[in-house]
Amino acid sequence: MAGLLFAFMVLPVVALWVTLKVDDLLAGIADPRVVPALKLSLVTTFLSLAIIIILGTPLAWLLAQRDGRLTRLVETVVRLPVVMPPAVAGIALLLAFGREGIVGSWLGRIGWSIPFSTAAVVMAQIFVSAPFYLQAAASAFRAIDRDQLIVATTLGASPARVFFRVGLPLCASSLTAGAAMSWARALGEFGATLMFAGNLSGTTQTLTLAVYTTFQSDMRAAQAISLVLVSVAFTLLLVLIFRARGTTEGHP
Amino acid sequence: MIFAAASLTDVFTAVATDFEVAHPDIDVKVSFAGSQSLRTQIEQGARPQLFASANARHMDALRRRGLAAEPVIFAYNTMVIVVPAKNPAGITSVEDLPRAERIVLAGEAVPAGSYAERVLLKARSVYGADFASRINASIVSREPNVRAVLQKVVLGEADAAIVYASDARAAGTRVGVISIPRGLNVMASYPIAAVTGASGSPLGQQYMDYLLSTAGAATLERFGFSAARP
Repeated sequence: MAGLLFAFMVLPVVALWVTLKVDDLLAGIADPRVVPALKLSLVTTFLSLAIIIILGTPLAWLLAQRDGRLTRLVETVVRLPVVMPPAVAGIALLLAFGREGIVGSWLGRIGWSIPFSTAAVVMAQIFVSAPFYLQAAASAFRAIDRDQLIVATTLGASPARVFFRVGLPLCASSLTAGAAMSWARALGEFGATLMFAGNLSGTTQTLTLAVYTTFQSDMRAAQAISLVLVSVAFTLLLVLIFRARGTTEGHP
Repeated sequence: MIFAAASLTDVFTAVATDFEVAHPDIDVKVSFAGSQSLRTQIEQGARPQLFASANARHMDALRRRGLAAEPVIFAYNTMVIVVPAKNPAGITSVEDLPRAERIVLAGEAVPAGSYAERVLLKARSVYGADFASRINASIVSREPNVRAVLQKVVLGEADAAIVYASDARAAGTRVGVISIPRGLNVMASYPIAAVTGASGSPLGQQYMDYLLSTAGAATLERFGFSAARP
């Protein structure tokens, strides 16, 4: 019984690897859509992650420092995308940032149009993946012993110094884990991207969209691209996990 | 279960409702998607009783693998240009198409995408290579089915798109329609066939008979298709 769920979860991943002939794999990887999609996926997901970390860390810090009704409301709101189905996220993004959207129509007047651009891909990724980082960061910051922060402050450290010298180092491994989750979610983002950003090789067609597009005409090529996607994801996750371990060991 | 091309969404829903009224004991379920996607699903083991494709290519591919019976053409369609109701790019003819900043088409494997390519190829021979390259530069997305293409125009995200005449009719006043002259247009034909190895309820044959009857033809015409029979 105990092994049932494990077997269920492992089998599809194994099937992905063992059912593809080497020739099909090589032919699939040679598909002209693969390289632009891989590049686009890496560039957009790391850009999304950078933006999430830069803007999300201070937000999570603030959320962890306060404990009022407003704080709880903000925290709930930033969690919403997690429970929002991707298709709904796509529609929501279009209604806000589409050419006739609330902000989009206003941007249109100064000549900016977001849908069908690489920026739209990044926005869709940030929207769906930021909650994972925010949540991990906020709970890590909350777990810091308050006394340590108070001591640092009474010793004359500025709030910024307290944050960078005490808060950040204490939470490095949790933050890394949150960042890894967030990045993985961005890499897998599909529905909102398709609806909000469109599907054009080189501009908006990420690896997941390339898998979907290829699947419609060539199952084997779709499988080959899936393997590329899974390999990239696994490799980077492993690197992040080992990094996180290294950091924890470095700062016991 | 019936697998039907995305462009058949409204008409097959109506035909299924009429059919259920005529056969109260039968419950018809229709799954709509791009024909290429339905074909892949059948190749991977899905066994609907019927498959209605928006072009011969995907039907023939299943025929060659012994997955579909002899198909019957039941409807025809033509292509039109659709623009948002406000028509921001001011497009009134095929020749104006390069004015569009953002053109959305269906993917190359999607029937509506390959029909659109054929229209553009014909237009290129009339209006020249510059016309074609300006259009290519304006294509901003390749959607997985024709309804997704239509939606991008309804939302005003795309300045122009090429879809079926029946899609344009389904969108009503939410889009502006620019007809494509006969010389540049293509005729889309819709084959339907029984899928080999589907479970043996009589639904498939009965639904096909109904679709090809006078009543079925009238519904097809009402939704902007040309019925192939009777």
